[in-house]
Amino acid sequence: MSPVRIISTLGFFFVLFVIQESAVSLIHFPISGFSLYLAIAISLIAFEDHNGSLVTGFLAGIVLDLSPTSNAPFGQWALILTGIAFLFAVNRDSIADLTSSPITFVIFVGAGVTLSLIAYLLFGSLLGEENGSLKHDSTILLGNLIWTVLFTPIFLPALSRVREYSLTARERV
Amino acid sequence: MARGGGNRSRLLLVILLVTALFFITLDLRGVSLTKGSRSVTQTILSPVQKTVSTIFSPVGRFFSDVKNFGKTNAQLQEELALNKMLKSELAMSADTKGQLAQLKSVLDLAGRGNYKVAAARVIARGSASSFSQTITIDAGSSSGIRPDMTVISENGLIGVVKSTTSSSSIVLLMSDPSFRVGVRIARSQSVGVLSGLGASNYSLVLLDPAGTIKTGDILVTNGSENNRPFVPGVPVGVVVGVDNSNGSLTQTGTVYSYANLNDLGVVSVILSAPTTAPSQPILPTPNPVVTVYVTPTPTPVAAATTGPTPTPSAQPTKKK
Repeated sequence: MSPVRIISTLGFFFVLFVIQESAVSLIHFPISGFSLYLAIAISLIAFEDHNGSLVTGFLAGIVLDLSPTSNAPFGQWALILTGIAFLFAVNRDSIADLTSSPITFVIFVGAGVTLSLIAYLLFGSLLGEENGSLKHDSTILLGNLIWTVLFTPIFLPALSRVREYSLTARERV
Repeated sequence: MARGGGNRSRLLLVILLVTALFFITLDLRGVSLTKGSRSVTQTILSPVQKTVSTIFSPVGRFFSDVKNFGKTNAQLQEELALNKMLKSELAMSADTKGQLAQLKSVLDLAGRGNYKVAAARVIARGSASSFSQTITIDAGSSSGIRPDMTVISENGLIGVVKSTTSSSSIVLLMSDPSFRVGVRIARSQSVGVLSGLGASNYSLVLLDPAGTIKTGDILVTNGSENNRPFVPGVPVGVVVGVDNSNGSLTQTGTVYSYANLNDLGVVSVILSAPTTAPSQPILPTPNPVVTVYVTPTPTPVAAATTGPTPTPSAQPTKKK
């Protein structure tokens, strides 16, 4: 990943983070909230090649760690999303291409979001954070999964196109 | 993948993971760099959140409003045509009216407790990507708000100030699993600890082994040293269930809060509480109950069938 792309990806994630924190979080979704940020971050991780996935995951995590409402230590999301990016990178063949198998792709994005939230909970518990009852946490996980699977197909084509434009000629090859 | 490429990927993975762990270690050791970065983010975010909240608040409850649409398509078309010009204006007006009503109620509650308060509008809710339950309000240190101050709504306690910038503050809601508050039962003055469970119900653990909890008991805040983080006497909630299981040293109960944390528009931060007299609990005002007395009126028909109506003069008198 070129330095220019790293900076542009970081800027993109920050804009997305502002949208998530100031607009999406205001919507009262039934069951539980929807994290547009995580859905788009996981989608971008799935688009990238092996090294690109790792760097994208790390950058997405660093920006999410800036959240002032978070109780977690700075770096927790970076660690988790780098780990999730690694899982996506080694299972790239199973995830398949967006154009050839869009449903599988969306299911993998939903699974990635849920897995990252579970990892966040487990890691938080290891660090002594209070996470609430199992029922409450399960509701949040289920709500996020449902909304991610429902909304991802809507923004995925646009996201794919934006990513295509951001690639350099060398990266396209 | 080539062998060299594979090694490079592994090296990159290790570097990124070590960097993340390095940040976590710095944060846990209290290095101000990481804490400062979140404060800077909040300073950048709050003006955007204020603007977006003003535009976005009428549509924020879209999903909950959808189920109330029980009107026919024709009626909706008619209403759409009628309201086309005034739709956004009316939505903003209704939103403002709702916020005004909430502000009036919350100031009423603060007035009853003689609290000095700073009113603020809720401009954002906690992120869905973290499990903490917070709100962001549009008043900060420039309004006198400091961390660890009590935050109330029209019905009672809602949380405590977690952090502030000059123009905004983050409030940890009482439903957050990490939230704890000392409470008093208004009936018996027994003291306990109320914990958030992440939902609309709360857990109460009584500290006094001899104390008892009853369904319907009203809870108020017990207060903290120098009134921070909690001022005494603020209504918290009502006991809706008691756990009488044997084996526990003290009684526990389930509590519902007075404040609806899903409908917060305007809140107040208590800047100072009265110090001259011990604070009396501000118990919630009971709803007035209308009692109707029904006196049966004797009908003329009934009177005719039962014979002559007794009059005071016709009462049998005892002869001497």
